[in-house]
Amino acid sequence: MKTEISFFLNGSEVAVSVEGHSRLIDILRGPLGQTGTKEGCGEGECGACTVIVDGRAINSCLYPALEAEGKNITTIEGLQDLKNKLSAIQQAFVDCGAIQCGFCTPGMIISAKALLDSNPNPSDEEIRDALLGNLCRCTGYVQIVEAVKQAAIKLKDTS
Amino acid sequence: MRGFDYFKPRSLNEVWELKEKTPDARFISGGTDLMVQIKNQELCLEALVSLRSIPELSGVEVGEVTRIGALTTISDIIQHPSLRHKYPVLVEAAKSLGSVQIRNVATIGGNLCNCSPCADMAIPLLVLEAKVRLKSTKTSREIPLNEFFLGLGKSCLAPDEILTDILLESTKLNAKAIFLKKGRVKMDLAVVSVALLLETEGERCCKVRLAVGSVASVPLRLLKVEALLEGAVISKELMAQVQQLAADSISPITDVRATKEYRRQIVSVLVRRAFEKVLG
Repeated sequence: MKTEISFFLNGSEVAVSVEGHSRLIDILRGPLGQTGTKEGCGEGECGACTVIVDGRAINSCLYPALEAEGKNITTIEGLQDLKNKLSAIQQAFVDCGAIQCGFCTPGMIISAKALLDSNPNPSDEEIRDALLGNLCRCTGYVQIVEAVKQAAIKLKDTS
Repeated sequence: MRGFDYFKPRSLNEVWELKEKTPDARFISGGTDLMVQIKNQELCLEALVSLRSIPELSGVEVGEVTRIGALTTISDIIQHPSLRHKYPVLVEAAKSLGSVQIRNVATIGGNLCNCSPCADMAIPLLVLEAKVRLKSTKTSREIPLNEFFLGLGKSCLAPDEILTDILLESTKLNAKAIFLKKGRVKMDLAVVSVALLLETEGERCCKVRLAVGSVASVPLRLLKVEALLEGAVISKELMAQVQQLAADSISPITDVRATKEYRRQIVSVLVRRAFEKVLG
């Protein structure tokens, strides 16, 4: 049984027809074509599928698609501005060498955004806690934590 | 994956109507455990009935008796302005549960109804002597959380019953409580967890509540240890007795996370540490 739902994806209203067993990641990557969000483990361990729903980071692989109805959802595609310029967090990841293979990066950046939106001045411990649900198998975490710290400084300077 | 229907009722009455029409339907709240079971095809489902859009199940009211709606997320518990002052042990345990992404979705009611021996919310709630309210179409009952768990994945919920609220009495001013958890990494499930609530008068223990996780088929209150300590003054010898009795009162298993021998040893250590920390 398919149900039509609508929600706000990166600021624009979208409508999509979903099955009862569809997960949020299925409709993001499938009918909505937003493949920036990755599926790693599919069990809520790795965080590659992290998106923001109503201001909170969640695992889209554990989120029933039908629960997205009426929600505000931000994916990695929503971070660039209209001129395709990278956001401060994305640029900090590039500048700090916090990306190697890149598969975990969208989830990392979304978790970092959720953190910085609610806590513009996080401690190292708060950064590590916010990224605990995001696994990286290439670079390790030093550069990633550094990137979030640098992004926090940049965001403060521009605001 | 085999398909199933997903219903989003707006009231408890609607839930029960759906449950009557599709008796095999499962309830889903945060779904952070259930969705994994579905993915791994450990569950064969006809339908899911989501409890997320039901106003009666949400909200926290702090008072003489505090009510926590079953659908309150773990993050909501951490961020609540007064729960952290009133029940710090509950908030500490909430902070140790999973990752931010999991805490933002997982609910306190779901954590209990999943009936896992390692449920991080159950251990502090047991020492706080929480009650749970269970409602069906015709009945409503309040039972001590201690009587809720029947075994691995099994609770005393009837098929049409829903855990709607968690109820907590105020703790005494001289009560101190602590939650300790041993996992391999921070976001891991507990290899062993321990919660302790202690009221003292001078050096004498007047009330002891001790609960342990991941060491039996259910989250467990150690009633014998509590009884041994009631009215006692804690000495080195008595603590050794307490540690031994705690280790003897559990029935741990060996699994992918730890051996039963290791768990027995860690229970003994964490129980001692809990008393040391509470007694300062």
